[in-house]
Amino acid sequence: MSPSPTRAPEDTPERGRGQIVLGSVGTTPTPTGARAAQLVHIYRLSDPMLSELGLEALLNELLDRSKEALDADTAAILILDENGKELVARAARGLEEEVEQGVRIPVGGGFAGRIAAERVPIFIADVNHADILNPILREKGVRSLLGAPMIVEGRVIGVIHVGTLVPRVFDNNDAALLQLAAMRAGPAIERARLFDALDHEHRSAVALQRSLLPERLPDVAGLDVAARYLPSIDEVGGDWYDVIELPGGFVGLAIGDVAGHGVRAAALMGQLRTGLRAYALEGQPPGETLKRLDRLLQSIRGRGMATAAYALFSLETGELRIASAGHPPPVIIGADGEARLMELAAAPPLGTLPFPAHHEHETALAPGETILMYTDGLIERRGESLTAGLERLCAAASVLASAEEICQRVMDDLVPALGASDDVAMVALRNAPVEPDMRLRLPADPRVLSQIRQMLRRWLHTKGARAEEIAALTLACGEACANAIEHAYAPGGASFELEAVHSSGVVTLAVRDNGSWRTPRGQHRGRGLQMIEATVDEVDVRATSDGTEILMRRRLAS
Amino acid sequence: MMLPLADIGFESDGDVVVASVRGEVDMSNAGEIGEAIGRRVSNETHSLVIDLTSCEYLDSAGIHILYELQDRLRNRGQDIRVVVPTGAMIAEALRLADVPRAIGSAETVEAALVSLRE
Repeated sequence: MSPSPTRAPEDTPERGRGQIVLGSVGTTPTPTGARAAQLVHIYRLSDPMLSELGLEALLNELLDRSKEALDADTAAILILDENGKELVARAARGLEEEVEQGVRIPVGGGFAGRIAAERVPIFIADVNHADILNPILREKGVRSLLGAPMIVEGRVIGVIHVGTLVPRVFDNNDAALLQLAAMRAGPAIERARLFDALDHEHRSAVALQRSLLPERLPDVAGLDVAARYLPSIDEVGGDWYDVIELPGGFVGLAIGDVAGHGVRAAALMGQLRTGLRAYALEGQPPGETLKRLDRLLQSIRGRGMATAAYALFSLETGELRIASAGHPPPVIIGADGEARLMELAAAPPLGTLPFPAHHEHETALAPGETILMYTDGLIERRGESLTAGLERLCAAASVLASAEEICQRVMDDLVPALGASDDVAMVALRNAPVEPDMRLRLPADPRVLSQIRQMLRRWLHTKGARAEEIAALTLACGEACANAIEHAYAPGGASFELEAVHSSGVVTLAVRDNGSWRTPRGQHRGRGLQMIEATVDEVDVRATSDGTEILMRRRLAS
Repeated sequence: MMLPLADIGFESDGDVVVASVRGEVDMSNAGEIGEAIGRRVSNETHSLVIDLTSCEYLDSAGIHILYELQDRLRNRGQDIRVVVPTGAMIAEALRLADVPRAIGSAETVEAALVSLRE
């Protein structure tokens, strides 16, 4: 038995990177039939059809064909782990335990380790007389081994080897066939690994992005909001939107775009969204909110740059205050369905200037009007001017529809079917139209009271009521509704009706329930009716066939 | 997400507890607001100031808790003041319920503290 292993002499003419041929085993004269058989094996190992297989199937198929071509009993592929110090079994035929047990071989040690370290094919004639680290080879009774490195772009990425249960000699032709398999497997493994890494990053970034955006939008009476976020085809970005329900009948509307892409941009976006929300909840007006957000951004290590806009909307009056830091102009869609851009003074993005001032613009959304805020991914298209993008946006948004329908239409018209090259965020708020008369059937639940006040204030505002008139009528209505809710304990009283009518300068409010006016209990109860009497011109409590009706009238001053 | 209709801030000035109610008070939250304020008033407290400067709505359910707190404090020999600026949206509701006369009110927290120490 020859002292093993043997290796290729330096002067082998075929020698090249990844193409090292054993020399010392000699050149066996090849009979014509055997030559034809070898051609078949070469073809089977370079079969173009293999490219269509997924990685697992490809590796298994290559191992099967290598086994067959080399008349071997076992075949295995080990790949170099991330730190490049160990080989890990990745696929095996006849040696499945190697993969199952996750066999690891140090680079430079044992049979496979030496192939990886020395980057040459190695032949071991007799395993019993060689330095073998993998116990499974001996346990399985493998006697002879032939292995070759898998080299991609000059880097060893793994080892492929075949073994026989009876001693045999592998020659140059055998080594060449095995190298063919190695050349086939190497790039496939590398590509899959790269793809996995990218795919994993993309998927986790998208998940992160999603988790940082609002789960659902607030459900506020009189408000119609909708939003969209669409990651770009290949990378997440730092776009965000937010709808913030605020005390006192206000709603905050935010949009922003952190420069850059990937997990870092998404993470910074999360910080900025939370920051903006916190300042907004503290009751800061838009200009101050952006100023604080700017300071927050400047305090973050390795900070970036971002554009943002924040609008504060009054549900009662429709007033809208907005501040922008380098963000694209919002679109206002009138009650006639015409979209136009809102002119905002130019202001630097967040994170760019030491002492920025964020000017506030004031406007109002009449009932039926909509504000649409978006990020530049929506309007930017390669080879097209920004103006053209804005024109397309206005054309798409020119529609008399709900916030949801507007968002959908804009997405359909502006985002290519295959997805955008930049991420896109969009949020629309529509001041819902106010009906001339208000008729509501409401559940007898104390929690509806604040919504009733909200809706009544909006409705009264459109009738030209003054602040003190709105306060007085809201109080009267609240007392009457609270009484109706208390009646819910009576049979059939699970809901009640509210009607508001404005005619000849007089507001008439009617609250109807299925119970009888509650007899006041206790020393301090019974104040409700007294409050109603004092705040309206006329009040009438009457029993109807199936309950109680409270009618309240007040003439408006204007 | 449902934003709370109101929130309460507490401060102490010596043995006087100042409870500031911000937001709106109706039958959906009056009970818990009354309880929260009641819990902060210990036996050692001399008196209570309820600051309604930033209270934007208060109906009979809210007024009811003011009277309830007054009953409770009076029984222990403690005093109570309500702070409401003239012209505030809720000033009219308080006036209708006789709060300024029956409980005692002031325009500012400072004025309420002074009147409690007189």
